[in-house]
Amino acid sequence: MELRAYIVRRLLLLIPVLFGISLLIFGITMLFSPIERASLYVSDPKQLRDLASIIQTYGLDQPFWSQYGTWLGQVFQGNLGWSKVVSMPVWNAIWNFLPATLELAIFAAPVIIFSGIFLGTKAAAQKDKPLDHATRVGAIIGWSLPNFWLGLILLMVFYGALSGLLPPGRLSIGMDAVVNSAEFARYTHINTLDAILNWRWDVFLDALRHLILPVITLSVTNVAFIMRLMRSSMLESLGKGYVLTARAKGLDEKTVVNKHARRNALIPVITISGYLFAALAGGAVITETIFNYKGIGWWAWQSASRLDIPSVLGFALFSAVLFVLVNLIVDILYTRVDPRVRLGGGIQ
Amino acid sequence: MEDLVRIRDLSVRFYTYEGVVQAIEHMDLDIRKGETLGIVGETGSGKTMTAMAILRLIPYPGKIESGSIIFTESGLRGEVDLLALSEDRMRSLRGNKMSMVFQEPSAALNPVFTIGDQISEVYLLHRRHELGYRAMQQVEGLLADGKGNPLAGLRRPFWRWQRRLYCKIAQESHPLEPRIVARIPFFNRLLWRLRDEAELLTVNILRDVEIPDPARVAKEYPHELSGGMKQRAVIAMALACSPKLLIADEPTTSLDVTIQAQILELFRRIKVEKGASVLYITHNLGVAAEICDRVAVMYAGRLCEVAGVEEIFSNPLHPYTRALLDAIPKPGKEPQPIPGTLADQFSPPPGCHFHPRCPNAMPICNQEVPELKEVSKDHLVACHLF
Ligand SMILES: Nc1ncnc2c1ncn2[C@@H]1O[C@H](COP(=O)(O)OP(=O)(O)OP(=O)(O)O)[C@@H](O)[C@H]1O
Ligand code: SF4
Ligand SMILES: [Mg+2]
Repeated sequence: MELRAYIVRRLLLLIPVLFGISLLIFGITMLFSPIERASLYVSDPKQLRDLASIIQTYGLDQPFWSQYGTWLGQVFQGNLGWSKVVSMPVWNAIWNFLPATLELAIFAAPVIIFSGIFLGTKAAAQKDKPLDHATRVGAIIGWSLPNFWLGLILLMVFYGALSGLLPPGRLSIGMDAVVNSAEFARYTHINTLDAILNWRWDVFLDALRHLILPVITLSVTNVAFIMRLMRSSMLESLGKGYVLTARAKGLDEKTVVNKHARRNALIPVITISGYLFAALAGGAVITETIFNYKGIGWWAWQSASRLDIPSVLGFALFSAVLFVLVNLIVDILYTRVDPRVRLGGGIQ
Repeated sequence: MEDLVRIRDLSVRFYTYEGVVQAIEHMDLDIRKGETLGIVGETGSGKTMTAMAILRLIPYPGKIESGSIIFTESGLRGEVDLLALSEDRMRSLRGNKMSMVFQEPSAALNPVFTIGDQISEVYLLHRRHELGYRAMQQVEGLLADGKGNPLAGLRRPFWRWQRRLYCKIAQESHPLEPRIVARIPFFNRLLWRLRDEAELLTVNILRDVEIPDPARVAKEYPHELSGGMKQRAVIAMALACSPKLLIADEPTTSLDVTIQAQILELFRRIKVEKGASVLYITHNLGVAAEICDRVAVMYAGRLCEVAGVEEIFSNPLHPYTRALLDAIPKPGKEPQPIPGTLADQFSPPPGCHFHPRCPNAMPICNQEVPELKEVSKDHLVACHLF
């Protein structure tokens, strides 16, 4: 199928997906009674008497369809509602927090994906040898470490014990001032990238310093996953006839493994890597919260813990769009790696 | 006739969780120069493992336990014992002096590389000096033609660099500079002529195995070809470096009948034109009759009978060979399936492995292993009857 037609078709498919998701989440919020929901609009307990008027104003006692219709009408006008925790429209909040999360994803995803592929290949090529066992033990440990626990331990060591070597947050206070000053042009709001574009290596290094711990935290748990997937995919590939052909040609083991077997083994790993990136770019909720790294995940956590319904809805819709887009990119990438795959046609 | 391969006392075992499998037991077998030798036997008799032992590619958990495999035309000094060679030396022979065609062409080809890439790979590996030399000549031609041409002047430094690289590739066995250049993105394009030359050879060899429109096929992926074309491509890959020994492991089993006949015809032609010895593995005596000069019959890891193809059909001696012949469907005669079941691979019957199924079995047969003896000229049998 032609690439453009395929992309258009997939984007059209996004519409029913978004409808479904919004219905689902909206339905869940309707499980709360109008009074409960009205009380969320009140910050001062003395105003509790006004609940009835709030219910009246926002139509919280209207039937489901009418409320959903009202909300949908606003969404179509580009109004996703008001995010209370950060006091700005939801739409602005998403744009505001996205660059931070993207920055984290851009640093963490390659670390996770490439080291997972590398270690998985090694483990498969040396099946049942010491390295294989070592990576297996490592995977189990990494996998079973809770994110928040690992994050806190890392903070205790590298921030607490080592007197602020690797601090939480996104930038140090001084650098924050630099970034927000007039002579620093914020092209992308991705601090490391902007720092390079502004030729400010001090800002770059400071941003990098803040990224190290979150990246490590995300990597330790997720590398295990990619690595084990790569290992099993690689083992399957190594048992295939074309690997024997490659050996019978006289190729050395390195070429057999890294060229002939790995190229095929990568195919399933690409899908999962795509999901991983989407998950990271959609906000690493726990990690961002622990490190006080103000990205989408941090915002989503703040909103969810205060039952900020418009924000949670906005976050869910944003995640859905992200997943569909990443999926689309993965599908197109597939056709580059596996010539048997045709766009929209499965495997021949 | 002179020998190309002399297998002596070859034993291969598999150490599996369920037990030890003696896949090949004390095998002695010669492959002569220019002949097509068939190996025939039921499933599990050790045909494929014989081939894999020659290439030294026995899969894990298998091991070559003992024996020697003398290869007389390795291109290394004199006769060599393949089982005593270093892995590096062995690799330089695989795909070069000896190569293999597998049963399933769709499995044997890598789905993510083009046919051309997969065949060129063999040339780039084993014919590097030659390719380097040809590429160098190309560049020298360019340098000579470009004299006095101001436009060509700009490109002369690149051409000179290319000439130096190709010259090193043509002369040295592990040239440092070209290897470094090959690893640097963009700069590695300097070596494109090497690939170009390999591609020329690839198209030639594809034409040799009667693939129509070889230049187009070289650019296609395996899934774009039919089964017969795929098998031709695999055969082309095996023939690329004009091997002395071509091993074919049931190369027609997965193809339909008309294609089978064409592939058999191709093998016959290869033998005549290329002068290679062919080790042709099949479980079908009929196929062996069509293309083999001699036939070796195997049962449960041991050779039963080795003889010229006419001799085997006119004067079969071993009871297993006779049973196999009776099992071939012929007009006017019911095929007789061999009674009994295959020997258990973990604990085959003692003495002659065939005795539980043998109509001529004698008391000695479950006591002593029959030796392979020459009963008449070029006719060897392992049976207590002889
Ligand atoms: N990977 C393996 N693990 C364990 N045993 C094996 C393995 N490969 C082969 N064998 C054993 O080696 C013996 C010989 O196998 P081989 O593949 O040579 O048989 P074959 O004659 O080629 O049979 P077929 O006609 O089915 O291809 C068999 O008994 C088999 O059980
Ligand atoms: S040795 Fe005995 S059992 Fe074996 S084939 Fe000959 S006669 Fe039959
Ligand atoms: Mg076999």
